[in-house]
Amino acid sequence: MMSGKILYSYTGIFDTPDQIMHAAEKAVETGYTKYDVNTPYPLHGMDKAMKLKPSKLGYVALVFGLSGTLATLLTIWWMSAIDYPIVIGGKPLFSFPAYVPIIFEVTVLSAAIMTVVSMLFFFFKLPNNSHPLHGTEYMKKVSADKYGISIQADDPKFNEAAVKKFLESVHASEIIPIYWDEEEISHKNKILEPKFIMFLIVVAVITSGVTYFSFNKLMYMVPFDWMMNQPKLSAQQQSPIFADGFGMRQPVAGTIARGSMVYQFKGQPDLAGVKLVNPIPISKESLALGQVKFDIYCSPCHGYNADGVSRLRGQFPNPPSLHSDKVRNWSDGRIFAVVTEGQNTMPSYASQLSFDERWAVINYLRALQRALNAKESDVQ
Amino acid sequence: MSNSSIEYIKKELSPKVRTVGSALFVAGLIVVVLGYVTDPVRSAYNNIVGLTFLISVGVGSLFLFALEYVAGAVWSTPFRRVTEFLAANIYLIPLLAIPLLLNVNSIFHWTHPEPADKTMLNKAPYLNVTFFVIRVVLFWLIWLCFYFFISRNSVKQDTSHDQSLTKLNIKLSTIFVPLFAITISFAAIDWLMSLSPKWFSTIFGVYYFSGTVLAALAAGTIFIVLLNEKGYFVKGLSGDHYYSLGALLFAFTNFWAYIAFSQYLLIWYANLPEETTWFIVRWQGSWKIISIGLVFVHFLIPYFGLLSQPSKMNPKRLLWMSGWILFAHYYDLYWMTMPNFGKDGIVLGWIELGFPLLIAGLIMLVFDFKAKSQNLVPIGDPKLKRGIDFRL
Amino acid sequence: MSTVDYTQELSVIEGKPPLRVLDDLISKPIDAKPTRKFFIALTISGSMLSLLVIGLGLTFYYGIGMWGNNIPVGWAFDITNFVFWVGIGHAGTLISAILFLLRQKWRTGIARFAEGMTIFAVMTAGLFPLIHVGRPWLAAYLFPYPNQHSIWVNFDSPLLWDVFAVSTYFIVSLIFWYVGLIPDFATLRERTNNKIKKITYSIFGLGWRFSNKHWQHYEMVYLILAGFATPLVLSVHTIVSFDFAVSIIPGWHATIFPPYFVAGAVFSGFAMVQNVLIIVRKIFNYEHIITLDTLEKMNKIMLLTGSMVGYAYAMEFFIAWYSGLPIERFTFVNRAFGSYAWAYWVMISCNVISPQLFWSKKIRRTIPVMFVIAIFVNIGMWFERFVIIVSSLSRDFLPSSWHLFTPTYVDFMILIGSFGFFFTWLLLFTKALPVVSMAEVKATVTGSQPSHKDH
Repeated sequence: MMSGKILYSYTGIFDTPDQIMHAAEKAVETGYTKYDVNTPYPLHGMDKAMKLKPSKLGYVALVFGLSGTLATLLTIWWMSAIDYPIVIGGKPLFSFPAYVPIIFEVTVLSAAIMTVVSMLFFFFKLPNNSHPLHGTEYMKKVSADKYGISIQADDPKFNEAAVKKFLESVHASEIIPIYWDEEEISHKNKILEPKFIMFLIVVAVITSGVTYFSFNKLMYMVPFDWMMNQPKLSAQQQSPIFADGFGMRQPVAGTIARGSMVYQFKGQPDLAGVKLVNPIPISKESLALGQVKFDIYCSPCHGYNADGVSRLRGQFPNPPSLHSDKVRNWSDGRIFAVVTEGQNTMPSYASQLSFDERWAVINYLRALQRALNAKESDVQ
Repeated sequence: MSNSSIEYIKKELSPKVRTVGSALFVAGLIVVVLGYVTDPVRSAYNNIVGLTFLISVGVGSLFLFALEYVAGAVWSTPFRRVTEFLAANIYLIPLLAIPLLLNVNSIFHWTHPEPADKTMLNKAPYLNVTFFVIRVVLFWLIWLCFYFFISRNSVKQDTSHDQSLTKLNIKLSTIFVPLFAITISFAAIDWLMSLSPKWFSTIFGVYYFSGTVLAALAAGTIFIVLLNEKGYFVKGLSGDHYYSLGALLFAFTNFWAYIAFSQYLLIWYANLPEETTWFIVRWQGSWKIISIGLVFVHFLIPYFGLLSQPSKMNPKRLLWMSGWILFAHYYDLYWMTMPNFGKDGIVLGWIELGFPLLIAGLIMLVFDFKAKSQNLVPIGDPKLKRGIDFRL
Repeated sequence: MSTVDYTQELSVIEGKPPLRVLDDLISKPIDAKPTRKFFIALTISGSMLSLLVIGLGLTFYYGIGMWGNNIPVGWAFDITNFVFWVGIGHAGTLISAILFLLRQKWRTGIARFAEGMTIFAVMTAGLFPLIHVGRPWLAAYLFPYPNQHSIWVNFDSPLLWDVFAVSTYFIVSLIFWYVGLIPDFATLRERTNNKIKKITYSIFGLGWRFSNKHWQHYEMVYLILAGFATPLVLSVHTIVSFDFAVSIIPGWHATIFPPYFVAGAVFSGFAMVQNVLIIVRKIFNYEHIITLDTLEKMNKIMLLTGSMVGYAYAMEFFIAWYSGLPIERFTFVNRAFGSYAWAYWVMISCNVISPQLFWSKKIRRTIPVMFVIAIFVNIGMWFERFVIIVSSLSRDFLPSSWHLFTPTYVDFMILIGSFGFFFTWLLLFTKALPVVSMAEVKATVTGSQPSHKDH
């Protein structure tokens, strides 16, 4: 007997499955509660012999499975019908049949993972490599081809002599006492051990290095570079293919840009006044657009009311009021010519205002002029 | 022979079986005849439900019977006679098929296609009355032949204890299984799918097959549990045998749901007008209630009823669930058939009661008749001892 | 032919080997130094794997244009390979889960190996959707995670269902596999004297103690996992079939696709498992564990599933005719007699006709013949997916865009390379882990269970 060691259990080894079944039944009869049977594979009927309660893990699977179902259903509903509602294929926003596959998959996934996790880590309290049974001759045998029973020393009925006698009475071929390992009892984790700190440092360096490299270097290399390198010419790029060295080509002579029109009365404002007709009828939309454009481009010099009250504080020559008879009697086309080409110190607004916008500004100007020279009929 | 140790004493079935069976049969017959007199078309549609239900129980049982041989299963051997007796219902198929054949024109619209309907003309080589009748007779003969020979061998073994009969039956069953797959699929197409002659679904045969097996299993389970609880079989048939039955019922409930959902999802998703019509008809008016009800009746209730391990071993639960599944199969067939008759809403009245009563009566009478002349346990089967000793 | 005695149950493991001998036999490949044969095999599979690496390198660098896919055939070798490999994986789960639920004891000898094949096949399969998207390093976009674009993935899309199905399948298979391995790790831990091995096995064995209090829960969980894996395996190939069947392409949109794909998957999976096992049992002397009876049963399953696949082909053809619709009819006539008729007939002869030879018991029990048939089945099943995908796409609704598919050399490199990827993993597995479950095999040896005492 090795003194000084603490006894964990007394174990008996058996050669046949029938013997171990018998031993387990007898152990229950004798009244041992803290004992265990170790066999290299599960024996049919052993749970009955040991009078074990049925496993509760089925409920774990059920609970986590159903939670998975419900959680997925709610998540998908929220994502596709509430947070980002978009009609796909003419189906309703919440199209349940299409969600069944994913709901099913997540149900299985959550149930399977949680059942196994609960079994290993909560029911069995594994991993545990420092159990007293580990590293013993007993464990070597029951892991291969023998069947063992281990009656623990903390069993209320434990009594060394009686247990030995019990094991003999059920014909154990070997009886081995198992002791707690000295180191296992007094073992303490040393967090500040240099080895452990070194390990942490190495992990930190590698992690940050890899992260830095991936996000700052790797993602800018071909082919990970978000298609930054593409075999095509960007605007304004050089190209050796063409004689002039430009990547971009000039449009064919006489090409007109989409949506633009040609102004045919360059230098002939009076002719424009005769020939150009305002194509935009006066409407609420046109006046609103005109007001916006007028306030942006015209009002700094002409004033909000077109009365020549500028906001330029004399930094620029003040234009005359547009309520003069001359301007009021100008045709729309004549005003259009001024906006397009400029006049005196007024520059051209052709690049700021499209054709339609110019006409809208003119419509708005007409409204302003009318406001200061309203007729009797306007009031009624 | 190792079977000599099995003690089996044949017990006569209670005379109640015959009394109740006859009463149901007579009541059903009266309702059916009255129905045919008052509303022949509606009765004919009901007749289809009844016929396909009888095929499910009869031919489905024959399939299970053959399956035991093919798969080499032993746990079901002590009960095999029950499926054999139920398979005898194959004899009765003409009883329900003949009135329908006389009424083909009023229920199958493909019998009188419009001349301009090109799609229907394309189908005419298959969907015409002559070929239809040929198929009905041919399929019945195939089922009957295999039933006759397999069950004759099984009965012979009771006295001869000859192992070569088992071998012969394995061979016969192996030939039957593929034939069963083909015949049951085409029977489903003929009797059920062609009711809406333009509609088609490739999975339809499998769908009917799943219901067939489920119905046959449920019918068998009812008899097995009832008789075993009263000790009509041998001793030692316990929870593990019940568990296997329950697990099979559970598995096929899931299989049915899987097939039904697959069919629905694919048609719903693709949304092709030539296919969706079938479901749209079943989604109109009060049929919607029946359609939604199908999910509960045929899947959710049996699913949760048989989910847990103890419920599969509990004879009472098993009995209730089997009865429910039989009802669910009838419900399923009703859901497939009747919307073709009443497109506006549920058709339910006294006429609908006739066929369920008639068939319940028939099944009981056939069982009683068979049980009179034959052993309830195949005492000569070499697998019997292993079957009784079966433990999970 | 010997006469069978139906009164006796056949033993799964031939003879009655002592349990310790079984342990020795099973752990021998792990303990022994790799032989020259192993290195030759590894070189072959490694060279095939390098083809994959080069093929993928070219694909990533130059883009998907390196493949033959082009409008209207947007799916070709890539998705064919994907479906093929997922299908291979299915046999493993079928053996480990469904046959477990059906209490088929003959599965014990082959279950571990088949599960391993499942995992490697799913890994191989998973490659294809990833490389098909062109930028696999951005695959995280496939999952619904909160992001600054504040958009979510499309839950209506079967391609997203695939993401969930395949990843769930992989994870659950891995868990199932690992749970089965825990007791074996513990056995190995007790056997070995090598320090590094001991530490490794201790870590993976989690300190398993073979306690019967644990075994009880363990068996329950194994049953639950099998119960989950069974519908899961059905769902995976069902969802793969949805990729096609929810569309409206004739030849893709058929309601029978789900069960038909599952049967086909099991069919090809069994063929692959049978092929590999025939080699493994020979090399490692497992003839008594993976017996001829087991192989015969696998052949029977191939016959069954092959016939189911044949049923589906026939039913598709019949319903296409029965539908009376010109486009449906055209598609199937085109399949059998159009530009890809050769592929169609390869498929029919390999998948439907060749397994019918298994009706003969003699062929079922002759190893070289069954080996060849299984290879045919694998070829046929690959072509089945090719026919479905390419023949339907190349002849869609718009005749003006009809276009035939021609594979490029990169397509072939990736196809061959996928086999290299799979077999490299498999070879490493045979050297790293017990390819037969020690605990399960020991539990099925005659006399290893307590004799029945009826109450």
